[in-house]
Amino acid sequence: MSDIRQFQTHPEVEIATESPLAYSRQRSGAPAITVSSQVMLRERPFQGHLTLRGGAIVLDEALRHVLGLSLPSQPHGLNHDDSGERSVQWLAPDEWLLIVPGGEEFSLETRLRDALGDAHVSIVDVSGGQTVIDIEGEMAHAVLMKFTHYDVDPTVFPVGKGVTTGFAKTSAILRRSSASRWELVVRRSFADYLYRWLLDAGEEYGIGVER
Amino acid sequence: MSQSTKQPNRLAAGGSVDRTRTLKFTFNGQAYTGHPGDTLASALLANGVDLVNRSFKYSRPRGIVAAGAEEPNAVMQLGASEATQVPNVRATQQALYDGLVAYSTNGWPDVQKDLMSWIGKLGAPFMPPGFYYKTFMAPASMWMTYEKYIRKTAGLGRSPSEPDPDIYDHMNRHCDVLVIGGGPAGLAAALSAARSGARVIVADEQEAMGGSLLDSRDRLDDQPAHAWVTTALEELAARDNVTLLTRTTANGYHDHNFVTLHERRTEHLADSAPTIEGRRQPRSRLHRVRAGQVVLATGTHERPLVYGNNDLPGNLLAGAVSTYIRRYGVIPGRKLVLTTSNDHAYRAALDWHEAGHEVVAIADAREAPEGELVEQARKHGIRVIAGSAIIEATGSKRVSGARVARIDRDGFKVVGPVETLDCDTIASSGGYSPVIHLASHTGARPTWNEEVLGFVPHTVKGVTTTGGARGVYPLADVLADGAEAGAVAATAMGFEVATEARHVPQATVVTEGAACALYQVPHEKPTLRAPKQFVDLQNDVTAAAIELATREGFESIEHVKRYTAMGFGTDQGKLGNINGMAIAARCLGKSIPEVGTTVFRPNYTPVTFGAVVGRHCRELFDPERYTAMHQWHVEHGAEFEDVGQWKRPWYYPRRVNGRLESMHEAVVRECRAVREHVGILDASTLGKIDIQGPGAREFLGRVYTNKWAKLAPGRVRYGLMCKDDGMVMDDGTTSCLGENHFLMTTTTGGAAAVLEWLEMWHQTEWPELDVYFTSVTDHWATMTVTGPEARKLLAEITDIDLDRESFKFMDWREGRVADVPARVFRISFTGELAFEINVQANYAMHVWKTLFEHGDKYGLTPYGTETMHVLRAEKGFIIAGQDTDGSVTPEDLGMHWAIGYDKPFPWIGKRALSRSDTRRTDRKQLVGLKPRNPEVVLQEGAQIVFDPQQTIPMTMVGHVTSSYYSPTLESGFALAVVKGGHQRMGETVYLPMVDGTIHEAEIVGTQFVDPEGARQNV
Repeated sequence: MSDIRQFQTHPEVEIATESPLAYSRQRSGAPAITVSSQVMLRERPFQGHLTLRGGAIVLDEALRHVLGLSLPSQPHGLNHDDSGERSVQWLAPDEWLLIVPGGEEFSLETRLRDALGDAHVSIVDVSGGQTVIDIEGEMAHAVLMKFTHYDVDPTVFPVGKGVTTGFAKTSAILRRSSASRWELVVRRSFADYLYRWLLDAGEEYGIGVER
Repeated sequence: MSQSTKQPNRLAAGGSVDRTRTLKFTFNGQAYTGHPGDTLASALLANGVDLVNRSFKYSRPRGIVAAGAEEPNAVMQLGASEATQVPNVRATQQALYDGLVAYSTNGWPDVQKDLMSWIGKLGAPFMPPGFYYKTFMAPASMWMTYEKYIRKTAGLGRSPSEPDPDIYDHMNRHCDVLVIGGGPAGLAAALSAARSGARVIVADEQEAMGGSLLDSRDRLDDQPAHAWVTTALEELAARDNVTLLTRTTANGYHDHNFVTLHERRTEHLADSAPTIEGRRQPRSRLHRVRAGQVVLATGTHERPLVYGNNDLPGNLLAGAVSTYIRRYGVIPGRKLVLTTSNDHAYRAALDWHEAGHEVVAIADAREAPEGELVEQARKHGIRVIAGSAIIEATGSKRVSGARVARIDRDGFKVVGPVETLDCDTIASSGGYSPVIHLASHTGARPTWNEEVLGFVPHTVKGVTTTGGARGVYPLADVLADGAEAGAVAATAMGFEVATEARHVPQATVVTEGAACALYQVPHEKPTLRAPKQFVDLQNDVTAAAIELATREGFESIEHVKRYTAMGFGTDQGKLGNINGMAIAARCLGKSIPEVGTTVFRPNYTPVTFGAVVGRHCRELFDPERYTAMHQWHVEHGAEFEDVGQWKRPWYYPRRVNGRLESMHEAVVRECRAVREHVGILDASTLGKIDIQGPGAREFLGRVYTNKWAKLAPGRVRYGLMCKDDGMVMDDGTTSCLGENHFLMTTTTGGAAAVLEWLEMWHQTEWPELDVYFTSVTDHWATMTVTGPEARKLLAEITDIDLDRESFKFMDWREGRVADVPARVFRISFTGELAFEINVQANYAMHVWKTLFEHGDKYGLTPYGTETMHVLRAEKGFIIAGQDTDGSVTPEDLGMHWAIGYDKPFPWIGKRALSRSDTRRTDRKQLVGLKPRNPEVVLQEGAQIVFDPQQTIPMTMVGHVTSSYYSPTLESGFALAVVKGGHQRMGETVYLPMVDGTIHEAEIVGTQFVDPEGARQNV
């Protein structure tokens, strides 16, 4: 065995998967989006999530080499590749979150490790433990203000910013990937609580869920 | 002007009420009408309702005094149904809506015939300050009984006894400048700050912004003042950087410019929030504002004068009289006498006169009143009696006269004959107190300003006080001061404020003469014998009470406050505090600044509990964490146990012959299934930490008590973690995935704390070790398949070689389970053959269900945490946090085998384990207990003694930590800590119970089942 044991989590055959919100949608419902919906939710499950830890310089070089994507140069930064399908977000001075289309994570980790050589880093697949919820709509901002004490005013939370912050009584990653779209990266086990909270907070604005 | 017949005190014109629409409401069961734009108070006054409450202590009749937050008497119980009851609402702050139902909060059995009223009619000494302390304290055991009745007679509203149908929520806000108060100063501040581009929030507690401008006689830019309010609000509302919050009270000013704003969103519409297209909306909302700068534009409260019977209905603040006439078109009487110490209050008389009612006289305490308003009054032919004041009001349930006399303010005595004037309304004004409550919340002590005769806030970083709140009163000055305050605040936040941004409208200048200092008006009789002169109407504190308190030795104003209750509760001293301090100062022969002021505390006015709680209630009270198999557990009837925030299946009761199994029956069945066939447990909640780096192995050796140097890839080891005090903190297995790669498991409840613990030691003590930790708890779903048939079952759906020789106990292997890539760990917490299957959580349900598809023939049985506990306890496996409590060492647990004293680096806790205390042989040590009577299941937590004959207090030598019924042993059994227990095998101990029975038990080893460990090694 090598020093680090990578693990391909995906089966070779088609297997039924369940997203972290599968049960929640069934139990708590998913109100339809209507013309009067001022807040819309959309789960983007089954993506590849890798937690990168290590030195910024070596990781940045490797990431640029493998994905053509730079690490954010500033704390709270969030970079996307040209397609917008791959992103890397600053989480801590030595920690970043890489999100890529589902299934890419294993080979990506392999290529990153090859590029990194002997550098001391950690790359951990956390794809099964997280999901992404998009929040959009003219009252999305009001819903954000209900669950987080972080300042989410567009003037201080521009596109390309992401933070790990409080969400009601737990925490979540909140990021802004476009002018109209906010994303929550949430832990699987807390996802139901967050989903119920969002439906509740959005009720007065006619929240709808994309199915 | 003439009055509407239905509302006898409603003027035909004037004010901003909509007379074309009528709203119905009831007060104390009586039906009344009012109009949109009314408050409950203005509607009650319009209907000629004098008596709105009984007083707190003396049960005296009380009427409406004020028109805003400072109202002490009209404190109402609102709500048309039991569930929508709201206590302590000020009628002056409650907008009228159709169908409003209000009751007086005090008065038992009712406000007109009050059983307690005889107390109020007795002489003053009957209920002196400290009355309750002095009268009802003996015997002490009776206090609870007394209190029940005192509460009933002196109540301040009641809580609903049914669940609230409404929801409330919180919203977090940030801004550069928070302006509190939407009067002239606040609006001017908001405009100058907003024009600079700063993010501005303006909060105002009233139904509409504008403050004093809404009922002002002043003109701005040659327009009525309210016209400018409209213009200013339009400009502010059009700006993206401004948030306007009406009906929003800044109730608390906390540290670091964190201010809580209580917004009443639907209270003006109905007693329960209306739905929008069937969707609920919050009834009220607490805005949690983090402000860069705060501008306090909270204005002033007018001070009433303190004279005899000044609490009779018909006694109002002068400013309130103006507000009711000018804003609501309501005149609260026929014949007015005004008693004042200043010019400003003359507006009440002028407004009254202009409304066509009689102003009998103005008693002005100053020798030679002068100023434009005084001249206007004289011009209207109103009699001004200089150097005088009302010394006493007469009447029983409403003012019927005013006794006016010449007074010597300095000598505190009446110096002329008393003239009784016939009137039904008395307006009084003793000047204006800056509203410094919020400034006081910051901890800053206010300072006395002799010029304005009031306390003004001390300057605090990040706060700018403006306008009336800092003693600036003329309107032109207030506007300029407000604009400057907004500019100062915005500048402090780095914005540039242009000169034109400070533009304010031109105000007409009204020259006012100087006010005089007058608080308590002297009476012919000494204070203690004069008719009651009220200082704090809400808490029924009189001038005599304060005088008595000072005589009894209470010299500090804080002590006077607590002895008399002045400024207590929901009132927070809005009307009475300054008068009370002035009286204390007079009695003590000191000045007001020498006496000082008390501290105002949040909340400024009451905040409903719903708003405090927000959405953190019921199903959203606390996060619930679910595993990937949660839905299956629910569908299979699991009862759940809370483990931290996780919902773990506790047991799965089955329906047998139409009856649901009890927990005992289910657990017995589940235990037997695991010991005899095969069971399955959802173990996903265990904490899992991925550890990578060349320093990983060394790091493990330092945080665990046992050795890790030789653990090979493919192998698993149990580890014990101590705090630096040598006490067991957590335990779990850690697997070697690669030479520099480990997977640590922790207890379910300890996962977050262990990760923090590792990070802390790495970052602060051993940064030289190259290692990283990442939580993978949620990434992996874990299912434990355990029991004699576990291998056969798993073999059906895996490509992993399960042969006992190639896949040994404490090995892990990779492969496929139900076609899904899996890591399988051969570890056992039951003592049986066990495989822990880990798959990526999104595939977990498929794997779990596939196991059941194949498991029927083996009797596969899902089991929960209760069965897990029984099975592990039978094996003597500890649970950190249940069998340990932070005072138990590994040696106390008898786990010497898991301690590597000879490891080269001193691991966390090692040093502590060589202390004399941790080496004692009589420490409480973990043992097994076997009850003599096998049917007894000892109580967890039960205390253990060696000598059952000893008299109480007995010498307690330990306690039961885990206790269950074992279906395998067909007996109760327990784990316990007993002093010196390891040396007491075979001895008998006793467990005296509360009911007098004493259980006997034998001290045995901790492994009750299969002590050799043969079953897990098959």
